[in-house]
Amino acid sequence: MNNKKVFDFIGYRKVLFLIPIVIAVITVIFNCIFGIEMAIEFKGGTMLTYSYTGEIDTNAVKKTVEGENYGAVTVTTGSSINSSLEVVEISFSSSEGLTADKQTALSDKLQQTFKDNSLTLVNSQDVNPTSGTEFFLKCLVAVLFSFVLLVIYIAFRFKKIGGLSAGVFALVALVHDCFMVYAVFVFCRFPIDANFMAVVLTVLGNSINNTIVVYDRIRENRNLYGNSLSLKELVNMSITQSITRSVNTTVTTAFAVLAICVVCAICGVTSIMTFAIPMMAGLICGTYSSLCISGPLWVLWQENHGKNYTNAGNGESKKDTKNLASKGTVDTKKLMV
Amino acid sequence: MLRHRNGVKHLKRVAKPVFFIVLAVILAFTGIVFFGVHTQYGDFTNTIIRGVSDIRWGIDIRGGVDVTFTSPADYDATNEEVDAAKSIVETRLVANNITDYEVYVDYNSDKIIVRFPWQAEDDSFDPEAAVKELGATALLTFREGSEKSLSNGQTYEDLPLIISGSDVEKASAVYQLKSGNSKEYEYMVSLKLKDSGKDKFAEATKKLSSTSPKGYISTYMDDKCISTATVNEEIGGGEATISGNFTADEAKALADQINGGALPFKLETSSFSTISPTLGTGARDAMAIAGVIAFGLIMIFMIALYRLPGVVAVIGLIGQVAGTFCAITGFFPFSNSFTLTIPGIAGIILAVGMGVDANVITGERIKEEINSGKTIDTAIATGYKRAFSAVFDGNITMIIVAIILMGAFGTPDSLASTILKPVFFMFGASTEGTIYSFGYTLMVGVILNFLFGIFATRLMTMSLSRFKIFRNPALYGGKSAKKRAAEKAAATEGGASK
Repeated sequence: MNNKKVFDFIGYRKVLFLIPIVIAVITVIFNCIFGIEMAIEFKGGTMLTYSYTGEIDTNAVKKTVEGENYGAVTVTTGSSINSSLEVVEISFSSSEGLTADKQTALSDKLQQTFKDNSLTLVNSQDVNPTSGTEFFLKCLVAVLFSFVLLVIYIAFRFKKIGGLSAGVFALVALVHDCFMVYAVFVFCRFPIDANFMAVVLTVLGNSINNTIVVYDRIRENRNLYGNSLSLKELVNMSITQSITRSVNTTVTTAFAVLAICVVCAICGVTSIMTFAIPMMAGLICGTYSSLCISGPLWVLWQENHGKNYTNAGNGESKKDTKNLASKGTVDTKKLMV
Repeated sequence: MLRHRNGVKHLKRVAKPVFFIVLAVILAFTGIVFFGVHTQYGDFTNTIIRGVSDIRWGIDIRGGVDVTFTSPADYDATNEEVDAAKSIVETRLVANNITDYEVYVDYNSDKIIVRFPWQAEDDSFDPEAAVKELGATALLTFREGSEKSLSNGQTYEDLPLIISGSDVEKASAVYQLKSGNSKEYEYMVSLKLKDSGKDKFAEATKKLSSTSPKGYISTYMDDKCISTATVNEEIGGGEATISGNFTADEAKALADQINGGALPFKLETSSFSTISPTLGTGARDAMAIAGVIAFGLIMIFMIALYRLPGVVAVIGLIGQVAGTFCAITGFFPFSNSFTLTIPGIAGIILAVGMGVDANVITGERIKEEINSGKTIDTAIATGYKRAFSAVFDGNITMIIVAIILMGAFGTPDSLASTILKPVFFMFGASTEGTIYSFGYTLMVGVILNFLFGIFATRLMTMSLSRFKIFRNPALYGGKSAKKRAAEKAAATEGGASK
């Protein structure tokens, strides 16, 4: 039925598992050395961006703002978003939040002090540290709660192939993908912001879908072949059959996102770049994890703890075989309807 | 070797014209959704059906202000007080000519979340000043006379002050008999005055009701007149009503405003952000170009990979995207529209990705079935049938995620939020409406994927496959019968020689 060569995913699992582990270790090291910046919306604090003309003395700006007693002040300049716009970014952590009153006062003062630079407020963000932390926690709870529901759903829909364990390994793939998105943020030195949450959520959805497609194939082949195949053969075959689909889908969607990256890079819309680049990486990782991690890991678990299968190739207990065979027939009928 | 491979016995036939009907419906729908239906009378444009140009863009795209007000840390406001505060904020937004605002309240944490876009016509728009004004303490006053009695150059402050909001103990909307009329009922606002206001009010009403024609009392919120009423009689005892042909909602709103004027809690800004429109429009145009190019690429890939099912898939995807935009604009001018933010666009991308995936899975299955020797009809029927379980499970998990996000980051009174209250009970309403937009577009897109990616594409493919010219296996990415026979022969030979 399939003249494609079956790739031995299970046999190469050590290599397949090693790659993400190496990347993870590098990410952690990189993270420890360079750190990762939390965006204002999570850690709280204030960031004001002004556009300016001519030359501006960042130290003088810093001194002016420090004069208002807002704690540690960081001032950076750059040309951002629309490349025609030169901007100066002022950020500081005001523990009580900057009220509109204070912000107006600060803007007025800066505009007076740097009259020649014609400062104009482009962007301001001020988040109370408590509400920042609360938002971050809420995101986490939302993600964790989705994890739980997804595992329950998979356990229910795939109970024929060892439900709960399948759900748990789908979760491993999920965590892997979310971590890889984090890695992209670490390597690209993007701050963790709302875009990070949006990408994690997208990748979460994409990853679970990829894993389900592979599981679906395992479930179907299990019905087709019953126990005539060893677990290894079954999973290898199912993964191999899913490769074309996974590659085609990923190439199509990743190229679409790449197009978005390129257009936004040309137009200089950085706010979308920090969203599109990690998303592209996440889509690719999602495919990798569904093919190379969740399936092989699940086999590893089943070989050691599984009730349905004893060690691959050693044959099954008679009772089990009979049980599964009859189940297989029932499902076959269902498919015929 | 497989019994059920031949399982599809009774193929449902789909008539030839079905393809053209489905295609015409999708294209017409897409055209309407993208361009909208507008009629023009001179300078006045009347929107009959909203198009893409009517999309309400989130402030992360077009610029604007996002501000969260809370009560002071040591003050726990009641629900009525929060409602009253919200009402004041709304009055002030309108007074500033800001009509396309969004205001949400959260009673648990006494939060009022306000978002409004940069006012496009107004170059001198100052978001800091606008927010400052929104948060200022409202001053409610009752004054003698009406706006009409002001002569040129006079302001409302020239009208004699009777009482102010702090003299009102409580205002509430009531439905009672019209004064001097024993048959008709109407909505009014009933006021209960504090001792500090009773006498002043009685005195003023006595004076105003004795003039001819009878005098007026006007109610002002800051400098804006919210109601003017004729004084029919002296009102003692601290009970008064304001009537003025109110609807139930208007009466409640006015009562809220009056309570608000007397509101003891100060609005503090707990988060505040502004984005200038120059960032916004650039991002929006870039996104539009990027979207068109990305969709073009998807079209090329799908058609190159899956030929005829690819073409059908693209038609289905167009329908899906149009449907999503329809759910964002609200289609009809009277229905609710949703705000599209950057995460909302991410939701559309993910849903389109799911749509692509559904078609890829089906296309692959059809190819497989053809290559295993099935007729075109059987291959298509089995292909769709077997792809369904994977697509179904993928879509359902996506809907689960979408509902959680809508519950976590939606407005406190939405359905999803209410259901998920036990999970997020310890959190207040979120200031990040942008993620809600992600959940919404994702959910709509995935539901439409069932309709367009599975149902409509299957109808179209089955209908097309009945045309003679579309019965070539190569059009489905499969190998022709001849080629397969040759390969089979080669394989047997190879096997035999071993």
